[in-house]
Amino acid sequence: MIAAMMASSYNAKEEDGHHSGSSSHGGAGAVKSKKPDNTAFKQQRLPAWQPILTAGTVLPAFFVIGLIFIPIGIGLYVTSNNIKEFEVDYTGVDINSPCYSCAKNFSWNSTQSCVCSVNFTLEQPFESNVFMYYGLSNFYQNHRRYVKSRDDSQLNGDLSALMNPSKECEPYRTNDGLPIAPCGAIANSLFNDTLDLYYVDSNSTKTPIPLAKKGIAWWTDKHVKFRNPSGNTNLTVTFQGTTKPVNWRKPVYELDPSEADNNGFINEDFIVWMRTAALPTFRKLYRIIQKKSGTTPTLPSGRYILDITYNYPVLSFDGRKRMILSTISWMGGKNPFLGIAYITVGSICFFLGVVLLIIHHKYDTRNNSADIPN
Amino acid sequence: MNLYFSKKAFVRCMMHSCYSSLILFFIPWAAMQDTVRDDGKDIADYQSFALLAQTCLLIAVSIQMCLDTHYWTAINQFFVWGSLAAYFAVTFTMFSNGMFLIFTSIFPFIGTARNSLNQPNVWLTIFLATLLCVLPVVAFRFILIHYPVKLFPIQIYKVRKEGLPAPAPRRPPHRRISTRRSGYAFSHSQGYGDLVTSKRFLLRLPLKNAEAHAALTDDADGFDHFRLKKCNLLTKYHKVSAIFPHPSRILHNYLNQRFVNTFFK
Repeated sequence: MIAAMMASSYNAKEEDGHHSGSSSHGGAGAVKSKKPDNTAFKQQRLPAWQPILTAGTVLPAFFVIGLIFIPIGIGLYVTSNNIKEFEVDYTGVDINSPCYSCAKNFSWNSTQSCVCSVNFTLEQPFESNVFMYYGLSNFYQNHRRYVKSRDDSQLNGDLSALMNPSKECEPYRTNDGLPIAPCGAIANSLFNDTLDLYYVDSNSTKTPIPLAKKGIAWWTDKHVKFRNPSGNTNLTVTFQGTTKPVNWRKPVYELDPSEADNNGFINEDFIVWMRTAALPTFRKLYRIIQKKSGTTPTLPSGRYILDITYNYPVLSFDGRKRMILSTISWMGGKNPFLGIAYITVGSICFFLGVVLLIIHHKYDTRNNSADIPN
Repeated sequence: MNLYFSKKAFVRCMMHSCYSSLILFFIPWAAMQDTVRDDGKDIADYQSFALLAQTCLLIAVSIQMCLDTHYWTAINQFFVWGSLAAYFAVTFTMFSNGMFLIFTSIFPFIGTARNSLNQPNVWLTIFLATLLCVLPVVAFRFILIHYPVKLFPIQIYKVRKEGLPAPAPRRPPHRRISTRRSGYAFSHSQGYGDLVTSKRFLLRLPLKNAEAHAALTDDADGFDHFRLKKCNLLTKYHKVSAIFPHPSRILHNYLNQRFVNTFFK
């Protein structure tokens, strides 16, 4: 019976083709063949390559990966080590720190701002562009309710959203019956410390270092995402009918009155702050110290004074504030993790490759000697 | 009844998932600590970090899918890499100026893809995370495929003992169908399916046709000749089967049927 079936299936291909052809216009009694068309695609006869993990492919792959990763890791580590960075914590926790009195005596209603000075010394000169950052710790800008508390339409200059901010901004949506511009918790917590840097040369003269405040935000943010509401070029008139956020000392149209394209919503410090950070310890670009022409270092080694207008309270949530001066390379700031990770992974791969090679060699010789003779 | 639920497979899957999740979060996390772009601007922001983790994940998943596919056809590869390309296309579209200006509150991630995916830092992180997710899988599979001896030495030895070839075939009495035990079940390789369905067994028969025909045209006592010829034919068949020591019953029946068809059509 089985042989008969086998014998008949010998001619299966041609017969079935006839079957389906004949039954398609067959009568009511004919059973339609459900067999798909005899094409390579439908009968799964496509040319295929079978990836098989043989020793000849996997072992060289491990070695190659190891040999690629280790130089990359070394390059990254060396680059990271060549970046110069200097950090000053000026929160004023310690009773001996210069900003202790400012931190202790902080109050929301004070009209006079507290100023403190921190002295530091740079051991090495900083070459090329130097970037000045402010860093905050234990500040959760990635809290979900905080991240959603903004109105992107209002910040894009939409006039209807200016007067009627979105519900997401609650409870920082209106104040005294007037809509808040810019609304939301992110805008409300804008970082408002002012940092000034002075170089003290050998004659003890304080030279201010020029700090550039433009070019610190992303181009797309500055030119597409954030727009001042259209209407009047005088922003005071445009923002009439709105009020400043609760924790601000100045309204939004007074953020930088000296420059029209850094005032209002397109103020770069404001834009940088509104780009919420991912981690609780973060740094944001504050100012850029442009490199000097010629061979003079941008920041020569020596003594420096940092003058701080202490406006931002962080001690209530156990946060810390710091100022960071850093140079930059093609891989960004100083972060040795990537270099170390690449070196580690490369070494592990290489070691694993060696181990597998030894096992493979041993197993192969054992296999050859254990063959049953035919 | 949980008859087919393998706790071992489940635990293995869980461990792989946990490991991948930890890699896909903590590698970007550590790489983004205090990092900035190569022009000093921000890259460790919420949106860029999310994009980085997501890209690592998708590339790792695509490579894992390719590893799990047994046969790489052109269509297969097109869809895998095409889906990755579609991811990048959709991402760049969603994060474009146009989408933001039309649907402002829905697409707030404007500019993120452009500003973070042009950093070599970011691509090196993606590369590292992806490889760390995929390499252990490759290593484990390689070890399990090639070196089962190290893990299960006793079982392999037993199988080898049982797989000794069946005793040499003897000439069966001509009236009975062979009662030899079929050794087909002990084949460790793919078996003789190809051989059976190919026409190689039939090559000898056409030659024998002439002899058999000659036998048929003999005189009355040609019947004995005929029986002798059939015996010879069967002997020849058994000689053929001696080369392949484990004929199946199906093969035997098939050849018998062909013999019958040839002589008694």
